[in-house]
Amino acid sequence: MAVGTRVLETVGRARPGRLARAREWWEQEHVFGYSLIVPALALIAGLVAYPFAMAIYFSLSDYWVGSPGSFVGLQNFRDILGNEIFRQTVSNSFVFTIIAVILKAVLGIWLAMLLFRPLRFKRLIRGAVLLPWVIPTALSVLAWRWMFDSLYSVVNWTGIRLGLMNPPGPNWLGMADYAMSAVIAVNVWRGLPFFAIIVLAGLVSIPREYYEAAEVDGASSWGRFRHVTLPLLKPVLAVVILFSTIFTFSDFNIVQVLTAGGPVNTTHLFATFAYQMGLTGGNLGQGAAVSLFLFPLLAAIVFIQLRYIRKE
Amino acid sequence: MGASSRRQFLKQSAAATAGMASWLSLGKAPAFAQKRELTFLSWNHFVPASDEELRKQAAEFGKQAGVSVRVDTIAHLQLPAKRAAEAQAQSGHDLLLTGGADPFLYENQLADVGDVIDDLGKKYGGWYPFAREGSHTGSGWRAIPWFWISFPATYNMTHLKKAGLEYPKTWDELLKHGKVLKKQGNPVGIPISHCADANTTFWSVTWCYGGKVLEADGKTPAINSAQTEKVIEWYKELYKDAMEPEVLSWDDASNNRFILSGKGSWIHNPISPYNAALAKQMPIADEINHHPSPAGPAGTHSAPPINSVAIWKFSKNIQLAKDFVKFLYQKENYDAWIVAANAFNHPPLKHFAEHPIWSKNPKFAMLPKEAEFAHERGWPAKPNAAVQLIQVNYILPDMVAKAINGMPTKRAIAWAEDQVKLAVQGKLETKGKA
Repeated sequence: MAVGTRVLETVGRARPGRLARAREWWEQEHVFGYSLIVPALALIAGLVAYPFAMAIYFSLSDYWVGSPGSFVGLQNFRDILGNEIFRQTVSNSFVFTIIAVILKAVLGIWLAMLLFRPLRFKRLIRGAVLLPWVIPTALSVLAWRWMFDSLYSVVNWTGIRLGLMNPPGPNWLGMADYAMSAVIAVNVWRGLPFFAIIVLAGLVSIPREYYEAAEVDGASSWGRFRHVTLPLLKPVLAVVILFSTIFTFSDFNIVQVLTAGGPVNTTHLFATFAYQMGLTGGNLGQGAAVSLFLFPLLAAIVFIQLRYIRKE
Repeated sequence: MGASSRRQFLKQSAAATAGMASWLSLGKAPAFAQKRELTFLSWNHFVPASDEELRKQAAEFGKQAGVSVRVDTIAHLQLPAKRAAEAQAQSGHDLLLTGGADPFLYENQLADVGDVIDDLGKKYGGWYPFAREGSHTGSGWRAIPWFWISFPATYNMTHLKKAGLEYPKTWDELLKHGKVLKKQGNPVGIPISHCADANTTFWSVTWCYGGKVLEADGKTPAINSAQTEKVIEWYKELYKDAMEPEVLSWDDASNNRFILSGKGSWIHNPISPYNAALAKQMPIADEINHHPSPAGPAGTHSAPPINSVAIWKFSKNIQLAKDFVKFLYQKENYDAWIVAANAFNHPPLKHFAEHPIWSKNPKFAMLPKEAEFAHERGWPAKPNAAVQLIQVNYILPDMVAKAINGMPTKRAIAWAEDQVKLAVQGKLETKGKA
């Protein structure tokens, strides 16, 4: 691959000038290869590694906006653990993530199976399914906010007309359980396409012969799903669930726009509470501690799941 | 792909990259002449015409001073993050919009503006008391109060007339009237949720009942008191007998919708619903009127949002920035800006408050007076970092909501007291005592 003096000599060129020597140096495999990686590396270092290191530093200092702080060790973590709002945030995050990911997984597989069937306008439908995922979250959640509005809720209007609710219907964003259901519903609505499309890709890659063989052996449709589809989907599912868990844990837009963490902090997630503490409140140290609190746990999940995938 | 074409590609892209790099490292477009630039970071005003007038005046100042003035406006929710980023980077704009705790949070980062304050105060009849509360830190004046947004009561005259009621002069009267109005099908509304208005109204009510959250020293919790208990009981009764449960989920626009829908009879809010009704030519505009923020046993107090202008210490144009601020406060400029914002921007200087846009409109006439009993959040403490945390974590409306949801009043107060203690623990060192 290396284009060196030899090539130039065979072409019959004269002794290389300075420019040519520079080019020669540049075109050596290790120089050229690494210089192609450098931009990406710089991006990662500048936009991921540096902020991450800063966040760790902030979380260990009593840093406020506008005034550099000093190192305080784990004080911030002790402080937030002593804060009832933070403990509420932790429990909200787990409830939110576990329910939302389970719903997304079950509904996602179901939706993928439906999309897998031969359909008319298949491409159009598959494209349309992706819409919730493509629309900017802040905008779509604003629409949801209107649907759950206390005065003009179209959800309640429909429910009342269909006789499912007693007027005036539930106060979606004002009561703890309803607000959590609303936030989870919007998260599932938004995350479902991601699940469905990736699972669909997994389904497409399963060879038809397995199903035919299973059919010959007399397997029912449930049996085919249970013993052919599911085991072969496992690696794909593991990856999607991993990503979805991380995305869901770190969700911000949906809660911020829909409830701002209310009512009485019952829908606060790590990201929204960290934003509230660190950026609007100015306590960068504690804000960083809130947002990093889950990092060890998430890192462990990623580690275990990636190992599992590799083993499979 | 042949070697020559690859080489060609490399050559071209290298040339393009080099050109681009030198262009980027200069940080500006290549062919423009050098001119000193003054920059101002503000928010997207709720009345866009206000920003247009501001830009017009900025251009005019630029022409006179031989500089260019750039006014950047961003969504108000993005402002805290942007401010924090500029302080962190020690670069950005020269002037910035501040409010609430900002002069205290950024005390060490903001230039002293005491000379501008003295100058303008002498010229225009003096500053209202809240100016000092919010912009004078332990180390001096760190911001120049720019405008405040009046927070009166907005009511539907038709609904009150139908019930045979005058507008409520006190919070107790509001409770009494509210019970009648709700029975009539026209409840009143105060948000008890995670929104700015919920904070604003709570401060007003608690001060009117003689309550406070912090002592004047800014660090001793004072929320656990008989007065707070009384306020919570008042809220509970109002919630049960005069409001709808929807107030627990309201955002800052909900009460506007509530009064404009024709259902609500009374809200505590800036004059924006009335202005919106006028702008959209909604017939309900005729039914809407304003009255002064209600009083309580401890007098009248209110907590209107107060905005100020500050200058970064790292700015290389501090004197120029001060001149620009003085230019904005010249009578003809400030008046034009009041008119552009359709009476939304209230002056912190007494002479400007005599503008006919208020006195000539009976629905606005009482508004400038509100300045006399306005305070910064946290009062009698300064709006310091702890107050900021209490505000952004919605401790006060959440305390009320907890009691409404069934927690005993005393326990709700104890919860809030814990949160106030945590906020005070914030350990932010400020130079002087507040």
